Amino acid sequence: MELSKIYKNTFLIVLLGFLLTACATQKKVTTDQKMDSQIQGDVYTGTDGVKYLADGVPDRVFFATNESVLTTASRETLRKQAKWLRQNSEVTIVIEGHADERGTREYNLALGERRANAAKDYLMTYGISSSRMTVLSYGKERPVDSGSTPLAWSKNRRSVTVKAN
Amino acid sequence: MYKNIIASSGLHLGVIILATLSLPFISKKPIELPPLISVELIQITDQTNIPYAPKAKKIIEKVKKKQEKLISEQAPPKKVKKEKPKEILKISKKNEIVQDNAKAVPTPDKNKEKIKKPKEEAIPLPDKKTDEVKRKEETKQNPSKEKKLQKKIKKIQEEQKPKLEDAKVKQVSEFEKKEIFDPQNIAALIDKSKEEMGETTKKSDKITQSQDKNMEFSGLTLSEEDALKAQIFSCWSIPLGLPYNENLLVRIKLKLKPDGSVIKTEVLDHARMNKPGESFYKVLAESAIRAIQLCQPLRVPTKGYERWKDLQLNFDAREMIGG
Amino acid sequence: MEVNEKNTLFYFCLFLIFQTKSFSLIEVDITRGNLDPLPVAVSPLFSDEQTHSDLKKKLNINDLGLEISKVVENNLRQSGLFNPLNKDAFLQKPDIAHLKPRFEDWALIKSQALITGKVILKDDKLRVEFRLWDVLAGKEMLALAFTTVPKNWRRIGHIISDKVYERLTGEKGYFDTRIIYVSEEGPKTQRIKKLAIMDQDGFNNKYLTLGNELVLTPRFSPTNQMVTYLSYFRNLPRVYLLDIETGIQEVVGDFPGMTFAPRFSPDGNKVIMSFAKDGNSDIYTMDLENRIVERITNHPSIDTSPSYSPDGKYITFNSDRSGYQQIYVMKSDGSKVKRISFGNGLYGTPVWSPRGDLIAFTKLHKGRFYIGVMRTDGKGERLLTENYYQEAPSWSPNGRVLIFYRETKTDSDGKGFSAKLWSIDLTGYNERLIDTETDASDPSWSSLLTN
Repeated sequence: MELSKIYKNTFLIVLLGFLLTACATQKKVTTDQKMDSQIQGDVYTGTDGVKYLADGVPDRVFFATNESVLTTASRETLRKQAKWLRQNSEVTIVIEGHADERGTREYNLALGERRANAAKDYLMTYGISSSRMTVLSYGKERPVDSGSTPLAWSKNRRSVTVKAN
Repeated sequence: MYKNIIASSGLHLGVIILATLSLPFISKKPIELPPLISVELIQITDQTNIPYAPKAKKIIEKVKKKQEKLISEQAPPKKVKKEKPKEILKISKKNEIVQDNAKAVPTPDKNKEKIKKPKEEAIPLPDKKTDEVKRKEETKQNPSKEKKLQKKIKKIQEEQKPKLEDAKVKQVSEFEKKEIFDPQNIAALIDKSKEEMGETTKKSDKITQSQDKNMEFSGLTLSEEDALKAQIFSCWSIPLGLPYNENLLVRIKLKLKPDGSVIKTEVLDHARMNKPGESFYKVLAESAIRAIQLCQPLRVPTKGYERWKDLQLNFDAREMIGG
Repeated sequence: MEVNEKNTLFYFCLFLIFQTKSFSLIEVDITRGNLDPLPVAVSPLFSDEQTHSDLKKKLNINDLGLEISKVVENNLRQSGLFNPLNKDAFLQKPDIAHLKPRFEDWALIKSQALITGKVILKDDKLRVEFRLWDVLAGKEMLALAFTTVPKNWRRIGHIISDKVYERLTGEKGYFDTRIIYVSEEGPKTQRIKKLAIMDQDGFNNKYLTLGNELVLTPRFSPTNQMVTYLSYFRNLPRVYLLDIETGIQEVVGDFPGMTFAPRFSPDGNKVIMSFAKDGNSDIYTMDLENRIVERITNHPSIDTSPSYSPDGKYITFNSDRSGYQQIYVMKSDGSKVKRISFGNGLYGTPVWSPRGDLIAFTKLHKGRFYIGVMRTDGKGERLLTENYYQEAPSWSPNGRVLIFYRETKTDSDGKGFSAKLWSIDLTGYNERLIDTETDASDPSWSSLLTN
C-alpha cells in the first residue's frame, strides 16, 4: 500500500474519533451563569419579553416574591416612562399588575393590584395626573413565561404600562 | 514485513481511538446505596396481644368432643329439653297474631299433654316457683309479640322470617328452660353443671361442686382475653363516617352458650339509639352487633362457663377514629 | 311425698345460696377493628317488561334499574367507606331479591348490607322503590319510594345513595349535589376559561359562559339557583351574579375599582367580597335586596378570601397585616379580629366547614403547597395532602370531603401544564382525581339539592 493512503486512512479515523467525542453531552455550564446574572435580590433584571413604549423606555418593572417595593432599577424605568408621558400628554395608560404562580389565586389578584398601584403612585410623584392612568390586576392569570423555574417566576412578577389610546 | 507493521499500528491506533471515545462513557455515576433499615427483634411474651389461636382451637375441639360424650350419657333429659322450646312457641303462637305456618302448629290437646310430661318427671315443687317461672315466660313472650306485630305492619311476605324469629324465640325459651329445670330436678342440676363446666363426670355432692366454683377466677385470663379480642378486632368493620369528637363507646351485654354462640345481645344505653343528634350511636351499635354476628361462635375460654356466660363487650371506636 | 319435698327444698336453698355467689360481669374492651370499607351488595333494580320497553322508548336506556344501581354503586365506592361487591357474584335475581332476599345467599358473598329496588313507569312518571337490608341480622333497615320525571333518574340514584349513606354511617350524605368550577383550555400564557357546572359524579356537565372573557372563583348560592363569580368583562374585573336557570348576568354593586373573591352569606341574602383600591384590598358586603354596601375591614393590608361561619355570626379571612398571608377570624360586623394561624409558612383561602367546627385552608411552606384543616380557634392544625401546587379547598355539604385543584409543573419548554380537580376525605384518606372533560380549577360544592 502507498504511504499516502496510510496517512489518509489514519487521518480519517482520527477525524472520525474527534467527531464522535464531540457528540458527547454538553455540560450545563452556560445556563446557570446566565440565570444568576438576570436575577438580583429575587428581582428580574433581564430584558426577556420587555417591550418599549418608545426608544429607550421599557414598559415594565419587576418585583421580588410577595413584594410590591420598587427597586432602584424600577424607579429609573418609571422615571423614563414619566418623562415620555409628559412629552405625550394625550396618552392615557393602563397599568397592569401581575404575580407569579407560587401563591393562592385571590391573594395574587390583590398583590397584582398593589404592584400596579406602586408604579402608578411613583408616576404621580413625577407629575402624571391620575386621570390618565387606570390600574388593572391580572393576578397570576397572564404569565409571560410559562416555565416552572425561579427565573420564569421572576419574569412574571411585573407591572406593565400599556397604552390605552 | 511492512504490511505487518501497518496492520499492528492500525490496530494500536484503533484501540487508542476507542479509548478516547469511550472516556465519557467510562465516567459512571456513583452508586446510590439504599438507606439502612433498622430491624428490631421483638420478644413474644404473655403481655402481647397475639392470640393463641391455634392452641385455643385445639383445646376447644377437645372440649367439644368431651361435651358430645357427656351429651350422649345424658341422652334422656336432652331429648325432653329439645321438645320443650317448640311447645312454648306453640303456646305463644296461640295468643298472638302471626303469619301462619300451618305446618308448625299442632293440635291444642297434644300441647297440654306434652307440657305436663316434663312437670311430672320433675320432683314437684311448691307452686310459688312455678308461678315465678310462668311470669318470666310471659314477660319474655311479650317482646316477641311486639316484634311480630311490627313486622306485620310492614307487610312483607317472607318465608324466612318466621324461621329466624323461631330461632330467636327458641333461644329465649332454651334459656328459660334451664331455670325451669334446675329447681325441679337435682339430678339434672348436677348433670347440667357438668356440661356447662366442660368437666369430666363428677357424681360428687353439691358441696364439693360449690367449693370448686369458689376457687375459680372471676375474670378472664390475659391470654383468654387476648384471644377473644383478636377475634373480634378482625370482625368489627368500624363505620368510617363516625364523628371523631364524640363519645364512641357502646357497651353490649351478651349471654353465651358453652360453645361461644350468642344467645342474647343487649345494647346498654339503649335510649341513645333513637336520640336525635346521636344518630351515630345507632350506627355504631349496629356495627358492633354485626361484628358479634360475624364472629360467632366467639372464642371463649374452655373452662369456667359460669364466669363468662354473661359477657360484656365495650366497643370503643375512639382509638381508631379519633384524630 | 313430704320428705322428698323437704329434701328438695333444702337442696334447692343450698343451691341457690351457692348459685348466688355472683360472678362480677366480665367486661372486655374492644378498642380496635378494621377500617375496611363496608362490603355492600347493590342489586340492579327490578323493572317489568312493560316498564323496560316504555323506558327504552322514552329515554333510550336499555335497563334503567341497572343504570340507577350503577349510580348508587359508584357513589358508594367513591366515598371510600363502602365496597360494592361485583354483580357477577350475585346469586339472586333482582325481582326475587327485592321482595324477599335470601340472606344466606348474600351473606355467602360476604356482603353485610343489601340494596334492592323496583322501577315503575306510570302515567309518564318514574317511581322508584328501594330497600336497604341488614344481611347479618336478616332484617330490613330502610324502605323508601320516590317519584319524578323520567329524565331525572340520575338524581334518584343520588338520593338513594344519600339515604343509604346516612343510615349506615350516621352522617348526612353528599351525593345529590353539584359542583361549579372553571373549565380551562389553551396555552398557559393565554388560558381560555369558562364557568362550568356538573353533578358531583361528573355527569351532566354544562358550560355557563362562552370563554370570551376571563372568569374566576365561582361560588354557589345556598339556594342553588344563583352563582357569583369574578369576570373580566370589558377588561374590568368585577363580581357578577349569574342565574343558572335564566342565564342572566348582572354586576354586583357599582364599585370604582376591582372587586373579587366573592361568596354568599349562609342565608343567601348578601354577597361578601374584596374591593381593591389604591393598592389596598378590604372586605365589603352587599345586600342583594336593598343593595346596601357595608365595609367590613378597614386596614392598609390585603384582606381577601372571606368565608362565613354556617351560623353567619363570624367571618374567617386571609390578611397580610402581619407582614405575610395569615388566617384571621372576626365577627360578621368586622369587630374582634383575631389571628388564628401561627404555623410556619403562608396561609390562604380559609373556608369554614358546614359543620361549623373546622376551617380548611391552603398553606405554602418551603416551596410546597398543603391542604389542611384547623379548629376555629386555630388549634389542631392537620395537613391532609402535599403537592407542587394545589389550593382553594371547598367543603362538601356534610363537612366530610374537600374538593380542591392542582396544577402541574411545566417542563423546560413550558409544556406539560395541566390543572385538575381533586378531592380528599377529612381523615386524609381517599384522595381522588375528579374527571373533567377539560382542565379545571376553582371548584365549589353546592349544598344538597333536595333541601
